[in-house]
Amino acid sequence: MSRLSAELRLILRSRMGVGSLLLLLLLSSLAVWSGIAQMERQRETIARVSGEQRRDFAGVAATHGKPDGDAGYAAYYSFLLTHDAPPPLAFAAIGQRDIQPFVLRVRALGLQQQLYDAEAINAELALPGVFDWAFVLVYLAPLIIIALMHDLVTGEREGGRLRLLLSLPGQGLWRRRIGLRYALVLFALAVPFAVGAIVTHAPVAGTAAMLLVAALYLAFWAGCALLVGTAMRASASAAAALIGCWILLTLVVPTLASAAIARAIPAAKGIDLTLAQREIVHHGWDIAKQDTFERFFLNHPEWRGREGFEGRFHWKWLFAMHQVGDEAVARDVAAYRASLIARERWSERVGYLLPGVAAQGALHRIADTDPFGQFAYQDRIAAFHDRLRHFFYPYLFTDRPFTRADFARMPTFAPRLPSGAVPAAPLLALAVVAALLLSAGSRRVARISGADRA
Amino acid sequence: MLQRKMLRARRDLTIIEGTNAAILLSGVRHSYGPRAVLRDLDLTVRRGEIYALLGGNGAGKSTTLNALLGFIAPSAGAVRICGVDPVTQPAQARALLAYVPESVALYDHLSARENVDYFLALAGAARDRPSVIDPALEAVGLPVHAWDARVSGFSKGMRQKVAIALALARHVPVLLLDEPTSGLDPQATLEFNRLLDTARARDVAVLMVTHDLLSAVDVADRIGFLADGRIDEERTATAGSARFDLNALHARYAQPRAAA
Repeated sequence: MSRLSAELRLILRSRMGVGSLLLLLLLSSLAVWSGIAQMERQRETIARVSGEQRRDFAGVAATHGKPDGDAGYAAYYSFLLTHDAPPPLAFAAIGQRDIQPFVLRVRALGLQQQLYDAEAINAELALPGVFDWAFVLVYLAPLIIIALMHDLVTGEREGGRLRLLLSLPGQGLWRRRIGLRYALVLFALAVPFAVGAIVTHAPVAGTAAMLLVAALYLAFWAGCALLVGTAMRASASAAAALIGCWILLTLVVPTLASAAIARAIPAAKGIDLTLAQREIVHHGWDIAKQDTFERFFLNHPEWRGREGFEGRFHWKWLFAMHQVGDEAVARDVAAYRASLIARERWSERVGYLLPGVAAQGALHRIADTDPFGQFAYQDRIAAFHDRLRHFFYPYLFTDRPFTRADFARMPTFAPRLPSGAVPAAPLLALAVVAALLLSAGSRRVARISGADRA
Repeated sequence: MLQRKMLRARRDLTIIEGTNAAILLSGVRHSYGPRAVLRDLDLTVRRGEIYALLGGNGAGKSTTLNALLGFIAPSAGAVRICGVDPVTQPAQARALLAYVPESVALYDHLSARENVDYFLALAGAARDRPSVIDPALEAVGLPVHAWDARVSGFSKGMRQKVAIALALARHVPVLLLDEPTSGLDPQATLEFNRLLDTARARDVAVLMVTHDLLSAVDVADRIGFLADGRIDEERTATAGSARFDLNALHARYAQPRAAA
């Protein structure tokens, strides 16, 4: 214990050591604060839109909820609110939440033209990435580790203290030094995160899993610093080599891997599905009504024989047209989703070799802010849209009046429950890579000899 | 071949058991690749004795220290610190010795007191300030006002005093010094030699590897000339004010260097 406290004092008396740790503590705190504020803004937006939604819906009900009200008008003008509130741990790993929609108002018309209507990714936000705790951990914390550990051995050699240190009887000097620096960096990262988790009432298991990711990822970099730091003769060379590793492992290779994955697994854009669906809907105006109904009846046979109407237009024809449009692009939708999932799976595999990718992916999965969280929200919207359509069809196909009371009976959206999970395989890979590096570094450090005076 | 090795081992054991030497090197050989650096080196230093090991560059002085510190494993022979083999029992051997490197480098952002305290902690020694650290700093003559000053502003002599204070505070029986007076002015050298007298008075065995003949003559009890990996000649101090014949020593010391 006394040796550990002596080492602690050695670090805390060093301006470089204290400065690096305080900087990390500050960045981590800022990231947590910013994440909480950003998620709070999303909750406020949902609450504000909910209020507006109630007023809008009441207006539609007042206008179209008459004793002889037409369900077509009600279905056409009733936008219903869906939302995806931030999961408790989203403050730490915002993931897709700042660029993907978390509020969407849908109506009984074709889903695909609505689902991606808001899929306008904010390029300015997407380019630099979000500043959150995951960003501080994945991109900035390794730099602090490098600053604190690159000259662990070379610094002593250059300072002329190596032989004196090695002539002392105590053992485990390097283990203590690495371990203490590692613990301090983890502490500087973990304390603001833990405070954020308490403030947001985050689940204990998820919080612990995120801390585990941080611990493993930092262990990887500590092992890297130990290995490179003992292999190099000079501190400047060790620092340069480690910065090179950082650039390669966190910036260059992940970018190249992402580009390669995108090239290998092409995926259309969501807006392409919208356009395809709209094309089919528009085409519906030009073809015989019966053709549209025949396609509609393939999946809705219960309404066969109810398609007839007088005049040039009936709402059931329009809603059938939209549904046919959705069904026509169903394969494209499935292919689009499959491509995105395949990309995610490949990113996960890349993470087996790139710890930064693994850590980031794991944090977003635990926080439920990755594309799978977005898919779950979309699935929830699709299920709700399905209920909405089937709610209106009896009114539309039987010409039943849609009254004020029917507005109150309309389905309401039930938000999804958080579906975050701990991804075992990437964490295991991260643990193995970190253990290998630490083990190799430990073997090298054990071979440091005082006889080497250079 | 095996028989020769057994005979040598038996001889080493006999020497070790038959002496009370705090520092012992017996028949030590060591090579760096094809280049033999130590060739059957025999050297002993008793407790309360100061031994100055002189030799030209490449004579094997640093290798001798490395062998005593357990940094290298000699290919033959025996090395003991108070009977402990520094190669097979490095931690135990290092617990018995203090080493002062040629250029005493301390942690510049710590004070003299904190440096001593830190290295004592690493050595697992007692670190009580009033009873261990302060008396040691006082014994080496470091001015009291410098005790809590950062060592970044210290001269080499002051740094050396801190290193010696560390050695004294550890109460070890063996002190190994690597070129201790190199770079010191005459006054600082004189002060340093008096520190060694203090160590000798505390029954410490001191092995001083040096180029500084004057300092060796001033303080050493014995002077050994290391040449070609072995002790070529050894002189013992005589009683009286002229402990060594300086002229003879100088002539002897200059000879191999000139030859080299």
